[in-house]
Amino acid sequence: MGCDKAVDEALQGDKLDVLYGEADAAARARVSTHLASCGACREEMAGLGALRRELGRWRLPLARPGFTPRGYVVPRWLAAAALFLLAFAGTVGASGYLSLRRALQAQEARAAIVERQQRETQKALEAQLARTPVSAAAAQDLLQRVDARVDARLASSDELQRARLDRLFADWQDRAEVRRRVDMAQVAASLSYLDGRHGEQLQRTNELMGYVLASQKR
Amino acid sequence: MGRSDEELVEACQAGEASAFDVLVARWEDRVRGAAYRFLSSDDEARDVAQETFLKAYRGLSGFKREARFSSWLYQIATNLCRDRLRRRKTRPQVSLEAIEESGPVIVETRPGAHERLVERDQAEAVRRAIHALPEEQREVVILKEYQELTFLEIAQALDVPVSTVKTRLYRGLVQLRQRLETEGVRREAPVPVPAP
Repeated sequence: MGCDKAVDEALQGDKLDVLYGEADAAARARVSTHLASCGACREEMAGLGALRRELGRWRLPLARPGFTPRGYVVPRWLAAAALFLLAFAGTVGASGYLSLRRALQAQEARAAIVERQQRETQKALEAQLARTPVSAAAAQDLLQRVDARVDARLASSDELQRARLDRLFADWQDRAEVRRRVDMAQVAASLSYLDGRHGEQLQRTNELMGYVLASQKR
Repeated sequence: MGRSDEELVEACQAGEASAFDVLVARWEDRVRGAAYRFLSSDDEARDVAQETFLKAYRGLSGFKREARFSSWLYQIATNLCRDRLRRRKTRPQVSLEAIEESGPVIVETRPGAHERLVERDQAEAVRRAIHALPEEQREVVILKEYQELTFLEIAQALDVPVSTVKTRLYRGLVQLRQRLETEGVRREAPVPVPAP
């Protein structure tokens, strides 16, 4: 048996308000009054309540991977490998840093020792100089010996320079001769090509070559 | 106690940009959830949520506080979802998630596996039944059942009278009952409404 107020939109709205808990007291009273006398609407309200519970089965897939932030997901093996490499690099880097630091400290210590030794030597020399004053004759003699050594060094250097220049000049002459021969061959080839190898042309070529050679010698 | 949506909107309009971050944090999940229900695609739902907040941010200066901020957000999101659904009609797409949900992909062998599969099937049946509704009814059902908006908020979001919202919802619920009965989904036992 159907409801005689099935087309009553106001009552339908009131029923929905009751179903969703939005009804005020007046609407609840109207629905209650109607349900008291309408079995079809009681059945419908019960059915809609059951339907709402069924609709609750469709839940958001909160655990879906798609609901995690987008972006490239690093595979576990890659992440593990990266972590291992990072740890390895970190260890190597730390040990390298420590050994470098130790080496620097040792070098600084050595430099300090050398510096101290130099200062001590300098002091000793100064003290020795103060104890043994140099006479004017000894100083003159020392200067003469120094001059002689400087002269000898200069003479030796002049000889070395001269020998070196001679070698360079000879080498340059050799190379110039080779270059000249190559140029002459090229000139001969060019002239042969241009003028031919017959008769007067060949003679003319030879004359030209002779002229060139003579001018080169001059 | 945090500031209300309206206070945050007012702060945004006064130039406090960080207030919008609070609004996003407050509403993003719900907007994305609604979009997921409309579109059945997490990727698209995420895009819609982003576009919704972008549009909201751009339009915030012109937002008049006649409607609630949440209604306005849902209005933007619903329109974006409608656009996407229209585009799908012209360019049919296959949602991998829908296939994943509908296909017999998982072979469960653990204890309670049968119950989980039954639940999964029933959830899928509900999803299919809702998506088989006409768009107008589907929107109202989703906004009411899953987003728990009031009738007034839905009316503001869809820019229709409250009476229209109720009519669409009633028709949608009736169709859903019929469809789920036809599909043979295990029914919850109706709790009889006692005659007063």
